[in-house]
Amino acid sequence: MATVSVPLEPARGRGWLTGFGNMVDKEYGSWWRTRRALVHLFLWLLVINGFLVLVGLDEGRRGPYAALNELIEVFFQVGGLWANIGIILATQSSLLGERQLGTAEWVLSKPVTREVFVLSKLLVNGATFVVLAVVVPSIVFFSQTLLHAYLQPSLGPFLLGLVLHVEYLLFYLALTLALGTFLRTRGAVSGTAIGLAIGGLILVGPFPWLGMLGPFALPSIASIVATGQPLPEGAWQPILVTLLWSLLFVLFALWRFDREEF
Amino acid sequence: MSSEPVIRTRGLSKSFKSVQALKSLDLEVPRNSIFGFLGPNGAGKTTTIKLLLGLVRPSAGSAEVFGHDIVGDTIDVRRRIGYLPQEPRYYEHMTAREILRFTARFFYQGSHLAVEERVGATLELVGLAGKADRPVKGFSAGERQRLGIGQAQVNDPDLLILDEPAASLDPMGRRDVLAIMERLRERATVFYSTHILDDVQRVSDTVAILNRGELIATAPIEELLAGRDGIVYTMQVRGEGLEAERRVRSQPWVADVRVTSEGQSVTWHVRVSDAAAAESQLLRLMLADEQIAVTEFRRKTYELEEVFLSLVEENGDGDG
Repeated sequence: MATVSVPLEPARGRGWLTGFGNMVDKEYGSWWRTRRALVHLFLWLLVINGFLVLVGLDEGRRGPYAALNELIEVFFQVGGLWANIGIILATQSSLLGERQLGTAEWVLSKPVTREVFVLSKLLVNGATFVVLAVVVPSIVFFSQTLLHAYLQPSLGPFLLGLVLHVEYLLFYLALTLALGTFLRTRGAVSGTAIGLAIGGLILVGPFPWLGMLGPFALPSIASIVATGQPLPEGAWQPILVTLLWSLLFVLFALWRFDREEF
Repeated sequence: MSSEPVIRTRGLSKSFKSVQALKSLDLEVPRNSIFGFLGPNGAGKTTTIKLLLGLVRPSAGSAEVFGHDIVGDTIDVRRRIGYLPQEPRYYEHMTAREILRFTARFFYQGSHLAVEERVGATLELVGLAGKADRPVKGFSAGERQRLGIGQAQVNDPDLLILDEPAASLDPMGRRDVLAIMERLRERATVFYSTHILDDVQRVSDTVAILNRGELIATAPIEELLAGRDGIVYTMQVRGEGLEAERRVRSQPWVADVRVTSEGQSVTWHVRVSDAAAAESQLLRLMLADEQIAVTEFRRKTYELEEVFLSLVEENGDGDG
């Protein structure tokens, strides 16, 4: 090998975070150094904000406050469901694909921990998806409300609603990653997660108690909060339960992936 | 320089459900050797390699690489290893340069320039400089293998582990791989599995043969090629040689004499304990008998393929 003129400095990372920066950079690159982020951005603007244009055309006939509240409700409930399905489809093969293709075996033969392998996916996929499917559509949504209802939502309550919206998405991201550590097909991973998402939203109507056990009531709570209304009574329970589930899914993914043999 | 083995396994075993892939492996890989790890399909070679890298967990036994335990200190083990998997898989959207940069960044921090220089040098070394900025999804099998060798040694490893490194290469690619391995011998240890016995015979200095998860032989290559009968000289002889046989048998360095005949051809197999004595005296002893003529005299050696097949067949056919 040719001698390098600038001395190489051995990596000093120790402990369970060994390789973290490199893995995060790799995951980030898979979104932002390819066309993937751009495609997703276009898709989410089309699906979420495009759908709101159609709703807005209809809602414009009502009074401005009613129209604004309607738009907010649609943004959180319909947009939430689409984004939710999107995050499942976009990350269904994140762990599973690497297990099956052999890239995980290759990467894990380098000095990097399995915890870092999983967490880098969680962090970068989560953050990127929040930017592409929540933050940017939300900024556009503010302009849309002005166009359609001549009003804008109050920033504080709307941001609080967005926090719940993000919590809702991260629950399904954590679930998808956890499923990807042990299921063997993409269909099984996405089918289970999407089935839970849609089934939960359908069943929470006739069985409201289901909303207390998981994230199914969060889109409604988020839209209520975003319109400036007080948090409904008992709403803390699904918020905390969803956080707990998400944490458990992440811990399960770490535990299961640590036992994976390649 | 330490004479401690680079790899030492003690009773290393691995079971997958009811299948015992590796049975109590005791192995020592000397420093700066090119260690050929041979065995039929399913012998347990890849399992052993994956155990050393922490990709699978041992069912029993232990192993150390550079004195680090393969389970407890797996990160420290992997810091000093370069690994080429049997079928290297990469992120298809990345270019060869990005793959090497990504790999190098696990081992080096700081100066971007230094890492780029190392990446550039590695691309030159494996002959991919002209394709450095193309996505690997368009690479041929040979190019992927070259990239695999590049990424395995971009960190200048103390131990290079190669799983079937020449399997998908054409003869020129194979020659280049062997040349890289020989170049690395001075400063690194190369541990590689292969089916290509010619390559092993050409470059390896030590060999281990695995069959059905069991180690059936491990020795320096010369020792293995000398055969298990010890030092044997063979002679093609014409004529009756009773007197010569008596005289040869009486030598203290002669362990055994076996004479076989096939048609007109008579072959003597003389097993000795001292090669130097045999080479200086054996032929003289024979020629002292005027009744015979020696038409051929040589020390018996084996091809690795002969040794391999005989050992594997003796221990049960390796398939399965």
